[in-house]
Amino acid sequence: MQFGPTPLSPAEAALRAEVREFLAAELPPDHRPALGFAGRHDPAFSRKLAARGWVGMALPPEYGGHGRSAVERFVVAEELLAAGAPVGAHFVADRQTGPALLHYGTEEQRQRFLPGISAGEIYFSLGMSEPDSGSDLASVRTRATRVEGGWTVTGTKVWTSEAHNNHFFAVLCRTSPMEEGKKHAGLSQLIVDLHADGVRISPIPYIDGSHHFNEVALEDVFVPDDMVLGEIGSGWQQVTSELAYERSGPDRWLSTFPVLREFLREKAGTGVSDEEATVVGRLAARFWAIRQLSLSVARALDAGAAPAIEAALVKEVGTRFEQDLVEALRVAAETELDQGSGSLFGELLAEAVLTSPKYTLQGGTTEILRSVAAKGLSA
Amino acid sequence: MSDDRAMLTDVATGLFRDLCTPEDVVAAEATGWSERLWSALAESGFPYVSVPEEAGGSGGDIADACALLTVAGRFAAPVPLAETGLLGGWLLAAAGLELPEGPLSVAVGRPGDAVELAGGPGAWRLTARVQRVPWGGRSERVALLADAGGDRYVVSAPVASAGVTGGRNLAAEPRDTLEWTDAGLPDDAVGVAPAGVTGDALRLRGALSRAALISGALARVSELTVRYTGERHQFGRPIARFQAVQTHLVTIAEEAQMAGLATEVATLNARPEPGFFDVAAAKAAASEAATIAARASHQAHGAIGMTKEYELGQLSRRLWSWRDEFGSERYWSRELGRQLAEAGADELWPRISTGLGNA
Ligand SMILES: Cc1cc2nc3c(=O)[nH]c(=O)nc-3n(C[C@H](O)[C@H](O)[C@H](O)COP(=O)(O)OP(=O)(O)OC[C@H]3O[C@@H](n4cnc5c(N)ncnc54)[C@H](O)[C@@H]3O)c2cc1C
Repeated sequence: MQFGPTPLSPAEAALRAEVREFLAAELPPDHRPALGFAGRHDPAFSRKLAARGWVGMALPPEYGGHGRSAVERFVVAEELLAAGAPVGAHFVADRQTGPALLHYGTEEQRQRFLPGISAGEIYFSLGMSEPDSGSDLASVRTRATRVEGGWTVTGTKVWTSEAHNNHFFAVLCRTSPMEEGKKHAGLSQLIVDLHADGVRISPIPYIDGSHHFNEVALEDVFVPDDMVLGEIGSGWQQVTSELAYERSGPDRWLSTFPVLREFLREKAGTGVSDEEATVVGRLAARFWAIRQLSLSVARALDAGAAPAIEAALVKEVGTRFEQDLVEALRVAAETELDQGSGSLFGELLAEAVLTSPKYTLQGGTTEILRSVAAKGLSA
Repeated sequence: MSDDRAMLTDVATGLFRDLCTPEDVVAAEATGWSERLWSALAESGFPYVSVPEEAGGSGGDIADACALLTVAGRFAAPVPLAETGLLGGWLLAAAGLELPEGPLSVAVGRPGDAVELAGGPGAWRLTARVQRVPWGGRSERVALLADAGGDRYVVSAPVASAGVTGGRNLAAEPRDTLEWTDAGLPDDAVGVAPAGVTGDALRLRGALSRAALISGALARVSELTVRYTGERHQFGRPIARFQAVQTHLVTIAEEAQMAGLATEVATLNARPEPGFFDVAAAKAAASEAATIAARASHQAHGAIGMTKEYELGQLSRRLWSWRDEFGSERYWSRELGRQLAEAGADELWPRISTGLGNA
């Protein structure tokens, strides 16, 4: 296990102070905090953040990025999420697709996409899940067929977050038929323009009534050769390492933090009872402890390690904690949930109760993470 | 971990491995004591790590002492290591009192404890009743804090002049009630407590000591459970292959890592004294981790975990005791929550995001 105590260097602490100052200036005092990375899609905010150099931090300067470390990215991400900043537009491109393009993309693809990602102007969705393929991702049926100059893709992706707002998505599909016992072979990733001919995006109403999810139907969509991401046939390895990147950052334990902060604000006048104090203290203690684990994974990544088990553990425990917090505060508050209650705490709590099942599902369910981690522990 | 500290824990691990086997722990539970282990520890100077050398201690800092306690917790060591140095030794040294030859314990500050110091130089008298003193009856001295005439004193109370009522925690570690009734004390048993040497400060050190013991025990529980579930076969395969059992392994690893890292950060930040937030958070996390991990580990072990001889029980019975000593998860959560509520909503994130400080 590679968890170890690590301080922020003076430069990292200075970066944090800069982000705090920026957020204090940018977010109006009465702003409604977003819960988590998918909380709100706000291109204007993404561009402002990018102008400060805080999007595409992990990407090298020659592609418009900033060549910053994993810890520096961690520092910025945790400040944004703690403040409930609206990072939904660029977050997936920044966390996942950008690094994947850097790793597996051609020089031409890097030139084409990375500067726009770093500028907070090009947004990506994830095209993995299908109606019959969730945890068993290798069973996807979306199929690409070779044609002159590229591929034509046909199939249906579901749960595609923000497809209606974003520009592209990386589609996991079959480029050669499944062979008995070799389920992970023959898969590839293609970058599909969400506005291309043959792409039909239909909303799937989200549990809180908002438009977040989509079904994306692909019908003979032409994808030129220069939009193949990485090697044909290596889609599975690419996707699974992508999942490892995204696993253990602050977005896996901080999503519901604003609810706790607003609880304290609401109690500022009356003070807290013993029971409320106990709940607040327990949550704060666990935040503090989980944060150290998550930070230490970022530090290990910077040292060139591959802390895959550690990352799975952090996500498993962190996302359960995000849910746990919501229920603990609900019980402490003794309130009836109402999305329009007029109290910021009450409304955030209602939103959190409605949406919190997602934390332990998206990006690999709790059950799947446990088997990844347990295999590593027993190895 | 610094090189010196790593060397210290390596040496200590070797010593405990030789002298504190599961069989030794079982034997010590019958009598409440392991003389062999204690003499070896005393000879190495380990009990007085973190007490300054000028005061007769072994030097080193709180992080060193807690690193040793983590090793002791891992081996379920049945000796008052924390009490002799980090707690009692600290009190005596701070007040300029001599350290005893034999084991030293400390009044932990239970509700209902009473300590009255009367008289003055040449004629000190002690009347006190203190409960659940770790290895109280086995110790040579017990360090007490006492208020008298508007001043605070540290008393090195001789156990020989106390009435002892034996008590035990779930792991059969002595937790005795000691009473002194108008006992005379020589002048070199009483010293003025300097600023900062208070009951609250002792409580922080005590809670940190238990968090460190818990961390060590949890690391061992995690290893034992991984090993056992990999070896035990049912339905034709190792039970670690069953998903439901894997859940237990993952839960234990998470809780052990979380408690371990939180405690380590709290000890590293203790320069010179542990901070309230760090200790409250670390002890709340460690006590909760003890509960969750002990439950999961017993579930994964089945009946063998319920035997007196198997190592798990030695660890889980300590976890079930240490989690409540010097304040349970509920106590520390409440204290922490009160302070955070007082500081206000906007101070919450800056506090949570302050982890390990720079050296
Ligand atoms: C808010 C939200 C946003 C999302 N956004 C996207 C997106 O943008 N793009 C995208 O591609 N996908 C997205 N997803 C889908 C997400 O990746 C899937 O929900 C996830 O992979 C699980 O798949 P499933 O929902 O089909 O559940 P299933 O795989 O059907 O699982 C159902 C239950 O069975 C359990 N289970 C399945 N297999 C096993 C096993 N082998 N062992 C033990 N238990 C098992 C699961 O853990 C779960 O409890 C999103 C999901 C949510 C909730």
